[in-house]
Amino acid sequence: MSRRSSPARLVVALSVAGLLAVFLLYTSIAGGGTASLQPSELAGRAGKVQLAGQVVGPIQREGRTIRFGLRDIEGTATVRVTYSGSVSDQFRVGRDVYLAGRLVNGVFVGERDSLVTRCPSKYAPKASGA
Amino acid sequence: MPELGRAALVAALGLAIYALLAGGLAAHRRKRRLARSAQNALVAAFVATAVAAIVLVAALARRDFSFVYVAQLTSSDLPLPYALSAFWGGQEGSLLLWLLVLTGLGAAAVVTGRRVGEDVIAWVVPVIAGVATFFALLVVAVESPFATQVAPAEGAGMTPSLQNPYMVAHPPLLYLGYVGLTIPWAFAMGALLARRVDERWIVATRRWTLLAWGFLGLGQLVGAKWAYEEVGWGGYFAWDPVENAALMPWLAATAFLHSVMIQEKRGMLRAWNVVLVVLAFSLSIFGTFLTRSGILNSIHAFAESPIGAWFLTFITLVVAFSLYLFFSRLPLLRSKTRLESLVSREATFLYNNLLLVALSLTVLWGVLFPILSEAVRGEQRTIGPGYYNFFLQSFGLPLLLLMGIGPLIAWRRASLRALRRTFAWPMGAALAAGVALLALGAGSSPLGLVAYTFAAFVLGSIVHEFVRGTSARKALGAASWPSAFGQLVSHNRRRYGGYVVHAAIVLLAIGVIGSSLYQTVREEELRPGQAMTAGPYTLAYSSLERRQAANAEELRAVLVVSRGDRDLGTIEPGKNRYPVEQQNSNEVAIRSDPLTGEDLFVIADQIDEDGTVYFKVFVKPLVNLIWLAGVVFVLGTLITLWPDAREARRLAARSALAPSET
Amino acid sequence: MIALALGALLAALCVVWVALPFLREPEPADDTLAAPGARRLALLEERDRALAALKELEFDHRTGTISDEDYRASVGALRRQAAETLRAADAHAA
Repeated sequence: MSRRSSPARLVVALSVAGLLAVFLLYTSIAGGGTASLQPSELAGRAGKVQLAGQVVGPIQREGRTIRFGLRDIEGTATVRVTYSGSVSDQFRVGRDVYLAGRLVNGVFVGERDSLVTRCPSKYAPKASGA
Repeated sequence: MPELGRAALVAALGLAIYALLAGGLAAHRRKRRLARSAQNALVAAFVATAVAAIVLVAALARRDFSFVYVAQLTSSDLPLPYALSAFWGGQEGSLLLWLLVLTGLGAAAVVTGRRVGEDVIAWVVPVIAGVATFFALLVVAVESPFATQVAPAEGAGMTPSLQNPYMVAHPPLLYLGYVGLTIPWAFAMGALLARRVDERWIVATRRWTLLAWGFLGLGQLVGAKWAYEEVGWGGYFAWDPVENAALMPWLAATAFLHSVMIQEKRGMLRAWNVVLVVLAFSLSIFGTFLTRSGILNSIHAFAESPIGAWFLTFITLVVAFSLYLFFSRLPLLRSKTRLESLVSREATFLYNNLLLVALSLTVLWGVLFPILSEAVRGEQRTIGPGYYNFFLQSFGLPLLLLMGIGPLIAWRRASLRALRRTFAWPMGAALAAGVALLALGAGSSPLGLVAYTFAAFVLGSIVHEFVRGTSARKALGAASWPSAFGQLVSHNRRRYGGYVVHAAIVLLAIGVIGSSLYQTVREEELRPGQAMTAGPYTLAYSSLERRQAANAEELRAVLVVSRGDRDLGTIEPGKNRYPVEQQNSNEVAIRSDPLTGEDLFVIADQIDEDGTVYFKVFVKPLVNLIWLAGVVFVLGTLITLWPDAREARRLAARSALAPSET
Repeated sequence: MIALALGALLAALCVVWVALPFLREPEPADDTLAAPGARRLALLEERDRALAALKELEFDHRTGTISDEDYRASVGALRRQAAETLRAADAHAA
């Protein structure tokens, strides 16, 4: 159709190829992200995962290390967690949190400073009645 | 008077539907009076929405807890400005604000755009009205801000971290940006619907796009400042989905602002510009959806609500409508001119566009990754900051370089000999800066060194442009250097305002790189009387103080700071305990050096009963350049936005010379 | 009560405002939307583009962004183009 191919098309084609190459490079180095799991899905998992759940007591503090339980947000499966590093002011029993780490002998060992506490839906204080 | 608010919103919905249907019919049948009537309906929808907004503002000001919304977000002891800011603190109010800004900007753009051509405007009205109908429907039927109850004695109050001036300004700025991107989209769709794909839709929306883009950029920076001072983890941006939600449309709009110049100057990239405008608008709706639906793992977990399904449907409709229109009108969008050379200003704009869009889409990929991986592999997987940082570096560095190269290359084509001459100065500046930085020890981060050399190159090229332009103006007969400079900028506001914005982006890059790649972090547990060092600073922990403030108990660790022999006074990081809200908040201490732009940032991460404190100390070089960049950014945007009488006259002459030919 | 009255007032004002184009011109001579001629508009756009390009080339040459030889290579074609578009626009106006 076109009389001579425009250099713009060449640029676009080359750039798309370049971007794809960068993307492939990244995925081959870093892999496809970290699995995000709940405590019930943790069994038999080796390697680093991201664990999300609701904090259940008791919370034990020992210097910079805290130990607490984490339960499925909608469920009953629970795992004990040990973690050291920064803890948000929002952290307490009942809050939803997530952290990176791995399962070691049935205890989830969190990576330093990876704990994130989700804000309690700050804009809608309560669902009526719940 | 919640009834008045409700009635006003129903009226706004009715008017929006009328503007949609009557406007569509008028444009289709080419009926002048009906088209005017639809325009008036859009303006009236704004007035009705404004009445509803006034009702809500009055209720917030009076702390009328019979409004469920007011009771949920304020309390009687909350200061007035924060009580008013609750307007955009919750879901319902935010949607009302969306509608208010949309109808306001839409009405203004339609009224001022009339001179550009009623034939296009006639189609723009129903498009804007369609979006307005969606939001009006939400505030009328799904999330009304005017729900009432038996007034409780006291409201629930506002989260302490939101009681901050930056947080008062941040959401409305972002909304102005998000919503403002509707205008160029609506005009593009209007032009396609009218089958009139000449330059008029671009001329009519240029300022609106700049305005929206400027607000979106400023809003993000204010949000970053809030995060830095108030959230207090030692950073200002964390690739959180909600932050990404604002970044994506901003990047797409940045690409559009550049490529649109190619269309104006060379008549090229017409189809591409439509694609970018659709992308920017879709991403801005998607951003609103992300912040409003709580779909993703995010520390900004907003109230989960049925609103997600509504938004998803709306986004699908918007994208399908845009794509249909784009492909059905594609033959009209072919351009007559071609790119003449790969070494030309046009070509650098093209590269810049590809990089910006690629960056925007990689961020989108990262945001969607958890959802996509769950759909495809049945397991949610998340992507960390490493992913985003990798792509920011891979695409950001070339972008930085292009920002310096672009202004030095002529339109159409440039010979290598000419390039050698224009590049000499900026290249020299870059090399000198690189050597100086190496001597100062910036080699500790090779990436930082490269980026700083690029930054010096860009600044060199910008200064070079201003100097050469000013002396050319002087040679053309300007009376003095300052007046030559004034003439230079005022004769081409967009070009030189654009360079000022570029300078802001370079400052931002310098600040971000300095405060991340060259920062020092120290963590130590100290008892009163002990000391620690961080970079050049020594911090001696003297005592823990307990104070009672109006609504909080304040715990402060007093640290005496010194640098070498110089005593720098004390800083007091700590925590606040709010008994009413039952919340704690971290109160970081920041000591800024106005001369070097360096911050000493101290967090009292954990305070034990016996007075032992676990401190986290950051030394962040050049971080204050980020906030300075905000000021420069606003200045540059204002220069480009400032009305240009000469240009207005030319455009008026153009439409006057092109009379109706029906 | 006041709220209801205000609401009714608002509704009435909106209706009048929306109906205004019809109230003002009950029987207009021409009720068609005006649209500028496509061909003519395109010619004018092209003319303005060519003139702006020429102006920018001159200024870039003066500042030194464009070298003498690049300038000489481009200026002839741009001048011709500008003259052509001017002529075409005038011819269409006549």
